[in-house]
Amino acid sequence: MEAPPKMSLARYIARRVLQAIPTLLILIVFMFILVRILPGDPARLIAGLEATEEDVERIREVLGLNKPLHEQFIDYMSGLLRGDLGTSIKYDRPVLEEILARFPKTLELAIAAELIAIALAIPLGVVSALKPYTKTGLLATIVSLIGSSMPIYWLGLMLIYIFSVQLRLLPSSGTGTLAHLVLPAVTLATLLMGNLVRITRASVLEALESNYIVTARSKGLREEVVVYRHALRNALIPIITITGLQLGALLGGAILTETVFAWPGLGQLLLTAINSRDYPLIQGIIIFYAVILIVINLVIDIAYAYIDPRVRVSLWSSG
Amino acid sequence: MPLLEVRNLKVYYDLPQGTVKAVDGVSFSLEKGEILGVAGESGSGKSTLAHSIIGLVKPPGRVVDGEIIFEGRNLLELSEEELREIRGKDITMVFQDPNTYLNPVLRIGIQVGEVYEAHLGIEPRKAIDKVVDLLRKVRLTDPERRVESYPHELSGGMKQRVMISMAIALKPKLIILDEPTSALDVTIQAEIMELLMEMRDELGAAMIFISHDLELLGQVSDRLMIMYGGRLVEIGETEEIFRDPLHPYTEALINAIKYVRKEELPTLEGEPPSLLKPPPGCRFHPRCPKRMDRCSLVEPGEYMVGGRRVSCLLYEEEGDA
Repeated sequence: MEAPPKMSLARYIARRVLQAIPTLLILIVFMFILVRILPGDPARLIAGLEATEEDVERIREVLGLNKPLHEQFIDYMSGLLRGDLGTSIKYDRPVLEEILARFPKTLELAIAAELIAIALAIPLGVVSALKPYTKTGLLATIVSLIGSSMPIYWLGLMLIYIFSVQLRLLPSSGTGTLAHLVLPAVTLATLLMGNLVRITRASVLEALESNYIVTARSKGLREEVVVYRHALRNALIPIITITGLQLGALLGGAILTETVFAWPGLGQLLLTAINSRDYPLIQGIIIFYAVILIVINLVIDIAYAYIDPRVRVSLWSSG
Repeated sequence: MPLLEVRNLKVYYDLPQGTVKAVDGVSFSLEKGEILGVAGESGSGKSTLAHSIIGLVKPPGRVVDGEIIFEGRNLLELSEEELREIRGKDITMVFQDPNTYLNPVLRIGIQVGEVYEAHLGIEPRKAIDKVVDLLRKVRLTDPERRVESYPHELSGGMKQRVMISMAIALKPKLIILDEPTSALDVTIQAEIMELLMEMRDELGAAMIFISHDLELLGQVSDRLMIMYGGRLVEIGETEEIFRDPLHPYTEALINAIKYVRKEELPTLEGEPPSLLKPPPGCRFHPRCPKRMDRCSLVEPGEYMVGGRRVSCLLYEEEGDA
């Protein structure tokens, strides 16, 4: 089949969005209940230790927490349908505004980390697939071991100790300049690289075993062309899957990294929201996160179609 | 000087269970423009033999001994770069299953154009006119559109035409055909055979035609080589072999064709030999109807009988080849 007509792509996206609705609904119900099962009472937290029982009751009324659960849920859903995620209890600002204020920081960190990881992990994975017993192969093994086994807060603290405290090269926390981005991005990238190196290595190895590689070699193609054009392109599918899932996880906010480096992103916001039992804010962040994951999965599937023409056929034609 | 001379070739696979001697001391030669049919059961080493000529035995397989002399040069002593220049240009190969031997994520035009890229330094995209001409030559319908297609959009027969186009692009001197029609529908098989023979007449290339289908080989090959358990069993003119097979194994194969025609099913008792632990003596002796006591003790040499070389103790008195 030829290049997909524009209409079929639009239809495919529309279908996927419709399919996402029941998923979101189930998620919202569970989340709504779970948040309320959490021990701790937001009204009491806001009122403070000195407050009387009447004060607490009044705050409950203002927040709507005195109503039965199902009424609260209906209130919440009718707000959601109007695009209103509610008002943060702690910040006394619309939840969506609060999330959108923090999201660019999270996005910045996530993309920086993922770019560093891709730039280093893919070449490393390819080389280690081609030459497993060389120094580069060994390096790849070490990197993937460190990435997948080192606790991220420990790595973060070590980097702060070396580069901020001892060498005084980079700021240890906060945000604002490119220099601020380096340590948290490198910390996160190390974590991501662990998986990415392993997946790249494995999928390149698998592709190199394929029969079409024999054909490519039998044509007299140079080994670089065989590897990069023939093997890597086929190996990209699992690599893209992992990258997409990683990015999805990061966009929800890298809680540990953001905490270690005092990075004002969604992860920190979620932590604050949970600590202060800020129900609307917790709910808002989780829904936001769910939507991001749904979008990323859609993007991954469309990316597959662009890499693998066979997937294209099944995507465009089904439905 | 023959175009290709293979001397005492040994290709072994080192597996955890032991060493598989897939090709174990095979010698033959091929003249310019000649078609040599290679027949044998699966596991007889014929496919490994084909891959080793072009230097593409998959690990853990490796050539342990022998010489492969092509136009006076021993291919086993060439550097990877020298070998690369021969592959796809002077020696080409058509593989068994076009479904897995074409890259699923690259357009046909690119995959065929790569032959020009590898040997003439033309970028695949700029070779598109040449590719269209080539695809027309192998009678692929609608070649202008097909260069934009991906393999999954083509039928098995069309894909094999594409594979053949790559193999003939640079007018090779030797084309190795590894069961080129076995994965195709019966009706398509005849079409592909017709195309192959037409291309061969046009190019005058020599061919090594590997197949388990002895009847097919009988129709197309000048000479025939029969393999069994990694060894050469018999080699000679096709007509002579069909008229008077010398080796009991060859005889059994040829009788099988005759009996199938009469619709009586003949069977060769027993199973192909294990290459991990081949039978002692002659590898065919456990299944041989003319077995002698010595056959399980002595490995037969290769003996010349008329113009033929045969590896069977029945012909021992004829003298070593």
